[in-house]
Amino acid sequence: MSSRKDQNAAARMVREQIAKEQRRKRTMWISIAAVSALVIAGLIGWAIYAGGKTTEYTAPKGANSAGNGIVSGSGPVVVDEYVDYLCPHCKTFHDEAAASLQQLVNDGKITLVTHPVAYLDGASTNRYSTRASAAAGCAAEFGKFTEFSNVLFENQPAEGGAGPSDEDLIVFGRQAGLGEDFAQCVQDKRFINWTNHVSEEAGRAGVSGTPTVLVNGKATQASSTAIATAVAAAAGAAPSASTS
Amino acid sequence: MTWHRAQPWVSLACRLGLAGIFIVAGALKVTDLASSGRAVNAYQIMPYDLAMVVGAAQPFVEIVVGLLLLFGLATRLAAWASAVMMVAFIAGIASAWSRGLNIDCGCFSKGGPLPPGVTPNYLPDIIRDVAFLAMAIFLIIYPVSRFSLDARLDRPSPALEDDVLEEENSDEPSEQAVRRRERL
Repeated sequence: MSSRKDQNAAARMVREQIAKEQRRKRTMWISIAAVSALVIAGLIGWAIYAGGKTTEYTAPKGANSAGNGIVSGSGPVVVDEYVDYLCPHCKTFHDEAAASLQQLVNDGKITLVTHPVAYLDGASTNRYSTRASAAAGCAAEFGKFTEFSNVLFENQPAEGGAGPSDEDLIVFGRQAGLGEDFAQCVQDKRFINWTNHVSEEAGRAGVSGTPTVLVNGKATQASSTAIATAVAAAAGAAPSASTS
Repeated sequence: MTWHRAQPWVSLACRLGLAGIFIVAGALKVTDLASSGRAVNAYQIMPYDLAMVVGAAQPFVEIVVGLLLLFGLATRLAAWASAVMMVAFIAGIASAWSRGLNIDCGCFSKGGPLPPGVTPNYLPDIIRDVAFLAMAIFLIIYPVSRFSLDARLDRPSPALEDDVLEEENSDEPSEQAVRRRERL
């Protein structure tokens, strides 16, 4: 009688141990599967990002030697402006400062390099930032970058919805004095890869938002007065600054 | 209601809360991986190329952690992953704050520098992430929750275990095995 009780108790212990062992194994396999899922998820992200990177591009006419911006003027002080055609603050900056920057260019004081980056593709449903920037590349190719940029900012869409279509961009081009070759360039998406290159290079240069303005490589507030002050300072210090 | 009965429900709340946070944060960034990378790069902690890779991988990892928590699968492990990420986020924001960077944390948005005149909200960001961290730590300590796949998988199926036992004890006299089965 007591031996049967012992046997039952022993059997129960064995059973519990087996159950415990099974649970341990199951937990281990679930953990391995979960960790694998996390690693694979990360790798998928990496692969998508790496796959989307472009290496080959053709810069439009008027681009700088690095191929990451459109040059205007040839003054001694270099002003880099990084703008996204969809960014509201870029429009504010453009409306406020474009005329005075143009004046500095005309006076031979600065070389203005405009980098039309596509940072806000997530903020329109039809990748307006990229398409507008690529169209601006077409405008540069046919010599009307500044005029086309002005029209783009005049017609800036709101963030969140669908931006102007390629057909709309072609109409904007006509308003800026561009013709059929420009329309063809936009339809061919000729400078999409260049836009990707511009954005990539801007990110690498540490530009994480728009608008960003650099005067001789130094970050400056995006306003006409701040830029004018920085340009004057840089021009005054030009001999020593150029050696640094 | 005793703690014993309440705890699985509290764990469920933490699980679903964190799941929602991660799925939303991941989904907002997953559509634009380059901008997610730039948000990481804005912290100026990692070299550019590494920041871009981390930024591209992060939304996917966040979504998977969110799904694990949503279904309650590998809960404790997912809670550990959440806690580690929250510590990294808190450290990153604190570091940006201490270096005087003027950035959006990029937690639920595209991130990047803030427009002039806008002051960063580092303290609320950190307080929020500490609250999330507390939820994750609770789940690490009490991973058992209601409506979880873990619990469902863990419920022993008696028939199966008995079969296993039968195999293990095949040398046991059959009469006793029968009796034992009757008792059960």
